[in-house]
Formats: sequence, structure tokens, C-alpha cells
Amino acid sequence: MGNEAVACGALKAGMTFFAAYPITPASEIMHELAEHEPAIAFVHAEDEIASIHMAIGASLAGRKAMTSTSGPGMSLKQEGIGLAHMMEVPLVVVNVQRVGPSTGMPTLPAQGDILQAAHGSHGDYVPLVFYPSSVDECYRYTIEAFNAAEESRSPVILLLDGYLAHLQETIDLDAVSVDVRPRTLAPLGQGRRHFTGLLAKDGVPKTKDTAYYREWYARSKAKMLEAAAHYRFYDYHKNPTSRTLVIAYGITHRVITPLRGSYSLFKPIRMFPVLEDELRAAAAEHDKVVVVEMNDGQYRGEVQKVLRREILGISILGGTISLKEIRERLSEL
Amino acid sequence: MNFKDYIKWDRMPTTWCPGCAIGTVFKQTAFALAELRLSPEEMTVVSGIGCSGRAAGYFNVDSVHSTHGRALPVAEGIKRANPRLKVVVFSGDGDLVGIGGNHLLHAARRDVDLAVICINNATYGMTGGQMAPTTPAGAKTLTSPHGSAYAPINIQGIVTSNRRHWFARASTFHIVHLQKAIREAVEWPGFAFIEVMGFCIENCGRRLGFLSGHEMLIKLKTDFKLKAGPEGPLGEFELGVVKNDGQIS
Repeated sequence: MGNEAVACGALKAGMTFFAAYPITPASEIMHELAEHEPAIAFVHAEDEIASIHMAIGASLAGRKAMTSTSGPGMSLKQEGIGLAHMMEVPLVVVNVQRVGPSTGMPTLPAQGDILQAAHGSHGDYVPLVFYPSSVDECYRYTIEAFNAAEESRSPVILLLDGYLAHLQETIDLDAVSVDVRPRTLAPLGQGRRHFTGLLAKDGVPKTKDTAYYREWYARSKAKMLEAAAHYRFYDYHKNPTSRTLVIAYGITHRVITPLRGSYSLFKPIRMFPVLEDELRAAAAEHDKVVVVEMNDGQYRGEVQKVLRREILGISILGGTISLKEIRERLSEL
Repeated sequence: MNFKDYIKWDRMPTTWCPGCAIGTVFKQTAFALAELRLSPEEMTVVSGIGCSGRAAGYFNVDSVHSTHGRALPVAEGIKRANPRLKVVVFSGDGDLVGIGGNHLLHAARRDVDLAVICINNATYGMTGGQMAPTTPAGAKTLTSPHGSAYAPINIQGIVTSNRRHWFARASTFHIVHLQKAIREAVEWPGFAFIEVMGFCIENCGRRLGFLSGHEMLIKLKTDFKLKAGPEGPLGEFELGVVKNDGQIS
């Protein structure tokens, strides 16, 4: 299942530290990785805040680290995500989405955490977010998430949803060939470096220096965008007879794949930063652009920002999803 | 190694106010580290947020200044990732016992091999002097203007409720005991927690009628006494070490 593929991908990427707190529908990632103790360090932490901070500590101490959760836990992890961005700590955070807000519908899938994945922690930062849409991709893009984390020295978010996480598929792990990036950060114990959540220059806090903050942010943004440029993951199926481009991601794309005969389909896998050039090129070939997603238009707004034209939306919202419903609503547009 | 080797002199002066207790604890920690002959490559200091949390940046070793309350999980992640590193946590009562209270319960239960130095100034100093979980009943602060209605938290009780435990109470007046406790905490193979009584004059003491940091220091001298015998828990105004290696006697 998708969750197991994430665990396998993390091990393949060289992850040797995992901390998390049980939550539906993400727990199987924990179950799978618990079996690998003591080859990896595994902590069933007291809460989601502790688990992401443990992963940050472990990453600073030299290990590739990951934590996993679902929406309610993701809300708690935002504190650690901001810290990891500020301290430039490589890390992978998995969010298996369920229906919210709050406890919502714990066992049913949704795609309602898209904007949270991008802007959930306070302050400005450039997020790197991947969202696979099959079990095979869960494996592949978990490895890529670790690579991107190392390259960008930031917490990379891997989104799944409740259906994808529990989807059973046979995959050939050996057929997936992804190069694994080595560690980039020298582990703690080098002497006198200082890692802090404060704005700092060479380990010295610069908390009153607006000019330096702006300079720092520009550098941080450039670093993230440069790293992200090496991870332009998407899937574009052009249907020459269609004047409509349908954008969908994760399980939603999976569900609408049979519509390839009628529409052009675009699947962003790197959700953030938004694949601007690729989306513009695909949209230019079509009259209508429709975003189909299991939320109230979260990614549609992002696409609209990039394309600056009217984008149609089909909001399935959380819960169940059916091809029949999507096909009907597409034909009504 | 000399104690001076553990301090980033180019970061002096510190952010702490005149009369603050933290400087004393910082210096005694440097003395203890020098006595232990720990090289900067085999140790790290982790802190949370608050006045005490700033100390991490003044130690001349690789250090982490994390978010509010999260020093213990960050330290636990470091220790699990590299058990050879000596990990010292240096933070305050609001950070470790207030917002980070849940992590304290569980790090102590898991007996993570950390030396935790917690400066208990009974208030939230950095934010201006609000009521902390350690504030004595009746004490007036910004958020308890009529006097705190609650009894202070029993840190000793939390830590020593685990069969295997190491807990010490020290003060910034009794510096010989403080330094010895820090040394023993770093060497203890497991979770070692030192509650260092040390007051805040600027944002707490002056509202309670103290005129200087020195006056608060003398108050520590009069109020707190070293416990004579090794048996039993420490009384409210007793300093000492309470430990159990987990063996059933």
C-alpha cells in the first residue's frame, strides 16, 4: 500500500531516523518502520510536535530523518517546519490527508491540506511539496523528497491522501532507479556552530536588522528555487482532440485517468513551488482549464495566480470520489 | 581544557540583565565541563526559548537554540542519532516545565541520556514577568496581579516518579554544589535533571519588593539549605541530589 511504499522509499533513500505519533490514516508508515529497529532509530514520540523536533535534532546530528502524520498532526508540526526552514535542516514530513478541519472524518480521504502544506507555518518561506498518485510513485517520490531535502537543506513535504495511503498495488521496487543524494550537512560535533530559530548571521542573532533579514530572505528564496528546479516532476498527457485541459493530482488524478480519451490531463507532482512554465505551456494549448480536486478550490487558486485567466474548478470535497460524478460535471462545463 | 575554552568570548556581553541568575549557572556549567575535560567535538548544548535559552549561543561548541518548549525532543533526536555525543540541555522553567511539560514527562520516562540544567526563576522573564508553573502561590506577576492562585509545580515529583531517576536541586548561591551537580548530571547514564533556583530581579523580583539582584541572592542563602542525609526526597527548601539507578534494593 502507499504507506508501505513511503516506508520502503525512505529506507532506500538512506533514512536512519524516524519519529512519529500514531494517527489515521498514516499509522502504517510507523508500523512498517518499527520493524526496522535497531537498523534505524525509531521513536514513537509523545506527540507530533515532539516527533518533528526529534527528527530535526537527528538530522542535525547527521542522520537522514523523517516524520509522518495526518492533518491534525500536521497542524502541530508547523512549528517544527518553520524551525527547519530557519535552521536549514534537511527533513521529510509526510502528511496523509484526511477530511478536516479538526478531527473531521478520520478514515476518509481529502486533499484539503494543499495550502497548509505551502504556507502552514508562520512567516515567509518557500515550500517544497511533492504529491505522488500511485503506490509506485509513493516509493519513487519519497526517495526524491529526501534528495530534494538534502539539496535544498529544508523540510520537504510529501503529501498523500487516505485512499492512496491504503491503495494496494503490486510494484517492482528494483525497477525504480533513483540516485540517492548523500548527506550535505556536517553533523553536530564540529566545534562551534550555532543553529537557531532566530534570524542569525554566522550563528550570531540579528534580530533587529531589517536589511539583513531582506538579504537573508532573498538568498533563502533563491536557494530553494534553484534546488526546486532540479525536481520538475509532473505528468502531461495531451489529447489533440480536446480543447480542455484537466489538472488533477494525487488520488484525484488516479481516478480520472480513464478520461484521457476525452481530455488532456496535467498532473503536477511537485505541487510547490508551482510548475509555472509547464502549466503555462500546457494551458496555452487549450481553451478551457479545469482543476479537479478534493477540496474547495485550493490549488485552483494557485493555478489562477500563475495563468492569470479564468480557471474552472470541480470541487469534490473530502469523503468519497467517483469517476461518474467527475465525468458528468466535466461534461456540464 | 580551561573553562574559558567553553565560552564564545566574541559574543560577550550577554543579553542578560545585571543581577540575573543565568550568568552564574552559565559560568558554573563551563567550570563543570572543564573539569570533565569534554572536548567541544564530543558534546552539544541544546536550549529552548527564553532568557536561559540564549545560553546555547554563548557556549563554544556546536549548539542548537530550538523553539519554545522543544529543547528536550531536539536533544533526544540528537542523542538517539549519535549516542556518543554528550548532550546538555540548558533552558528555563517556563520552557522545560511550562510549555515543554509534556516532553519533560516523557523524556524522563524514556530515561533519555541527557543532562538537563533548568534555571527556575519562577517567572517568564523574557516576555516581561508573567506567572509560570513554578511561581509560588500568592506571588504577584503581570498575569497574576492579585497573587497566583495556584501551588507551584513539583518538578522533583515528576522526575522522581520514574523508578530510575536522577534529580538535583541547586541554587545560584550554593555554587559549589551547583557545579558538582552539573558534573554528576553529565556523567549520569540516563535522564538527569537539575532544578537551579535563581531569581529574576528585573521582571519579577522588583515587583515583589526586592531592591537588587544581590538581595534575591541572599534570600536564596537564607531560604535554601543543603540536605544533610542521602535518604528521601528533598523538602521544599532543601538542595541536594535524589537518585535511583533503577535496581530494586
